[in-house]
Amino acid sequence: MTILAQNLPVLLVAFSGALILLLRDWRITFSALLLNYVGVALFLARQQFIQPDLQLGGLALSTTVLVKLITGAAATAILAITALTFSREYNQEDLDEFSLAELRRAARRAQRQRAAEPFRASDYFIPFWTLMLATLASVALPRLYPIGADYSIDFVWYWLGLIGLFTMVVAGDILKVGLGLLLCIGSIDVLYTAISSSVQVFPLALLGLVEIVLALSIAYLSGLLYGRLKTLELNELYKR
Amino acid sequence: MIYLLLIFFPIAMGAGCFVLRTQTRLVIAAAVATVLAQIALVLQLPLDQPARLLGLTLTLDPLGRLFLLTFLAVGALALLATWRIPHGENFVPIALMLLGMTSTTLLLLQEPFVASLLLISTGLLAVLAIVDLPTASSALVGRATLATALKYLVLMLIAGVMMYMGFVLVNAAQPNLANTRISPTHLVLALAVVGFGLRLAIVPFHSWLPDLAEDAAPMVSVLVVAVVNVTSLLFLIVSFQLVFYPFEVVGGPDNQRGMQLLLALGIITALLGALLALAQTSIRRTIGYLVVYDAGMVLFGLATMDKVGVTGALFEAWNQTIVVLLLFVSIGLLERPDGRPANVLRHDLLWRWPVAGTGLLGGGLALLGLPPFNGFASKLLLYEAAARKGGLYLVLLLLASALALLALVRLARERLFGSSEEQRVDEAPVLLGTTDLDRPADRRLDPEPRGMALLTALLLAVCLAIGLYPQPLLSTINEVSRGLTFFQPF
Repeated sequence: MTILAQNLPVLLVAFSGALILLLRDWRITFSALLLNYVGVALFLARQQFIQPDLQLGGLALSTTVLVKLITGAAATAILAITALTFSREYNQEDLDEFSLAELRRAARRAQRQRAAEPFRASDYFIPFWTLMLATLASVALPRLYPIGADYSIDFVWYWLGLIGLFTMVVAGDILKVGLGLLLCIGSIDVLYTAISSSVQVFPLALLGLVEIVLALSIAYLSGLLYGRLKTLELNELYKR
Repeated sequence: MIYLLLIFFPIAMGAGCFVLRTQTRLVIAAAVATVLAQIALVLQLPLDQPARLLGLTLTLDPLGRLFLLTFLAVGALALLATWRIPHGENFVPIALMLLGMTSTTLLLLQEPFVASLLLISTGLLAVLAIVDLPTASSALVGRATLATALKYLVLMLIAGVMMYMGFVLVNAAQPNLANTRISPTHLVLALAVVGFGLRLAIVPFHSWLPDLAEDAAPMVSVLVVAVVNVTSLLFLIVSFQLVFYPFEVVGGPDNQRGMQLLLALGIITALLGALLALAQTSIRRTIGYLVVYDAGMVLFGLATMDKVGVTGALFEAWNQTIVVLLLFVSIGLLERPDGRPANVLRHDLLWRWPVAGTGLLGGGLALLGLPPFNGFASKLLLYEAAARKGGLYLVLLLLASALALLALVRLARERLFGSSEEQRVDEAPVLLGTTDLDRPADRRLDPEPRGMALLTALLLAVCLAIGLYPQPLLSTINEVSRGLTFFQPF
């Protein structure tokens, strides 16, 4: 087996994390999130402490890994559907005239904002340097502060945690905040599964549940935000 | 069986209430009945007899029972208060689910991974309550409310992640803590400080609490501050007992610096909370910062790891649950529409709404620990613990309390004690040709709703009764704190 094939899951996790931090288009970032979950599942499936206990058409799988993959796919699907819809259907005839006027103003403002938003390389300046910082930290921390059984385990959980944190810091819209939070949950999921001396089923199941509830909460808040401001951009939320 | 009922009954009833949520009064009555049934169940539950469920250990110790009963009582009163105080359409089902999850967390405090995740879930549920709109509302969710909800969601999730990481690291290091290449204690301490600091609104992680007090419905603030936050504090105490102290994350001979850090954080939080309360103009925000001040006092008591300090912290946390309910019920009543435009600030609230005004004043004094209210005995214990640690600590805590008192006096002078704005003007003489339409209409001044006035008076009476005769409660808290083993000899 070549070195590339051996480290394919780690490379997948690293590459998809970098895409999530760097790019703004939700079509790419959500695909990268799904890729990230696949990478983490493959990574865990190769670890010695995860034994296959399920036979699916000649493929030996671990239930733990399969559950993680399904949970990740569900969370990604919830956010992707939200991004597609982008609105909660307010029953507009029930709104008073001030609320309706406010909605019209917000829609015009969002329209202008979209029209005046060409590609600018400067928008990627801060995400790029945070990506560099995350890369440096994730390479250095497993050496300075080793916790797991081998380097790759430490790299994966440090990487997911840092990328998640930095994604939240540079996020311009609420869905990207959700992506960051999901990556942070992914980080503790890997940490618990790979490092804890006694892995229990219940915490793992609860982690999966938290992931899905988090995606639903972000979707609900996105709906409310879009209903109010006709955009998911966070800068509109904090305008006085 | 009782454990299962305690966990799933309120959640099932919450689902039922969600279906019937537009029938406000019916749903409130059902929810109060559910909480009363919960109280009866807790009283049936044997103490310190663990049960196994799905590989987890469920247990209720005396400390957990005392606080669980208090949370349920506070929950029942908060639900009753929504009869008259504005609240969101989904508040009742969410409140029931929050109480169910809090009960579960208290039963599973000895399972740190599960408790951390349950606290995250509770936070996610609270977000739904923050952005909730009243039934058939014709308004949109406020921009500030959305920002507050998003901030709360992000911070509570980060808090949960930090706590979880800390527990995994301790768990990983357990078999041979001394042989690890680098001792994880400092990293675990840092993670615990950030995680619990965010949860308990400790400076510099406090900003969500005043925002929540300002933008959420009053009873949502009660549930988050009085129930969810105090549950996090109990989780911290159990973590001290089972994880942090045995593995020398805090309090070990080599980790005195960690304790100093916690003491300093407690004092800074108390001082800054009081100072920022002094700078506020809104009632809700001032109260929010006073709660931050109180969180600092509680953290200080806990960080002394002294029996007196920890007992004071537990007593103060118990007082906080009652006082926060009193304060927010009073705020809900003071904000009732009185026929004036919403942007007009009244300065005579005490004269306009005497019971609610007295409730706010009494609650504020209780939060600050002034006699004859309930906070006095607990604050006295905290001051005693500070004096035992060193004179400087005592001076700083007294300074924080003095600043907090100044903030309360300012609030009372500006919003409560102004001269009455409802004085009747002398009736103008009727001139020739004057009709009824020419005269200004008489303003109808509704009195305070009798039931709510009674509830406020009851809470105030409880605060006074405990303040005047704290011995029974103090001895109960002394009894439950006897099981804690992390006290350090003075």
